[in-house]
Amino acid sequence: MMLNGVQQRLHAALEVEPGRLEAGARTERGDGGRRMPESLRENLSEIADPRNLDASVAEVFQLMLGTSCRKEEVELERAEEQVTAVVGFGGILSGACVFRSGGEAARRVAARMTGMEFCAVDDTVKDGIGELCNMLAGSWKGKVPELAARCGLSVPAVITGHDYELHVQAPEFRLRHVYAFDGVRFEVTILCDGIQ
Amino acid sequence: MSEIRTLIVDDSSVMRKIVERSLRQAGLDGLVVVEAANGVEGLEALKAAPVDLILSDINMPAMDGLEFLRQIREQKLAVGIPVVMITTESSEEHVKQAIQAGARGYIRKPFTAEQVKERVLPLVKAS
Repeated sequence: MMLNGVQQRLHAALEVEPGRLEAGARTERGDGGRRMPESLRENLSEIADPRNLDASVAEVFQLMLGTSCRKEEVELERAEEQVTAVVGFGGILSGACVFRSGGEAARRVAARMTGMEFCAVDDTVKDGIGELCNMLAGSWKGKVPELAARCGLSVPAVITGHDYELHVQAPEFRLRHVYAFDGVRFEVTILCDGIQ
Repeated sequence: MSEIRTLIVDDSSVMRKIVERSLRQAGLDGLVVVEAANGVEGLEALKAAPVDLILSDINMPAMDGLEFLRQIREQKLAVGIPVVMITTESSEEHVKQAIQAGARGYIRKPFTAEQVKERVLPLVKAS
């Protein structure tokens, strides 16, 4: 089991430097005069719309991996080797985007991204999964203008090993979808544990 | 054929490779890539040798892309050299910040090689 430093890395992943958020601390967009709501809660149904997550996954896989994936109504099976990437949200919404898969799916994602073949979950695979999670998080928050402007992203943290749980206290909302591509499955979760 | 020395700054080695591949697919002849994992390494690379083009991420440890841009300008390390930001941050505020810091282009991740071609090649030709 490889969990050394996981707590610290997760903690780091869920913090965003305050300076990165200052630019978004306006109440109105400059384009088109669209008014931003005082509270993001006014838009909770839009933010928690599960279609945004599906669209983000489809976009990232199509553009960066050159493949499509399909949503599946199953639980992700627990693999012997697990890979989990976490990108934290900070600012007007706090939480995280979590990518989880088995080692084989992680290797196939990295292979699609790089054009290389991998026989193990090495540093390049971890790097690729972290970057994939980063793009999923960015794409997801970009679907809602208020989030795009006023919610920052942490750098990714990647956890590998087996027989571990990622526990969070009761979130405001959680979107968890399982997708399949190239005969393997992965799971993407959006966790929101605080919203202004 | 003259070289186009290109500095790619991103904390993800995979993303640096993807950006390089996209530049080659875009038909950037004479491409010579210099890689850096953050703004600090990017500044060191610029001090070591001049480049013709810079592509940089924003969210990076040690020194983020916006601070990297400000330092380039303050230290006059790449005067007249086009800088394009490639990042997941896509809000108008982020774009405005990048432009104010000196960026000449902005590409949102995820991206296609075609987008890289459209936004980078004109800058290279113009410079």
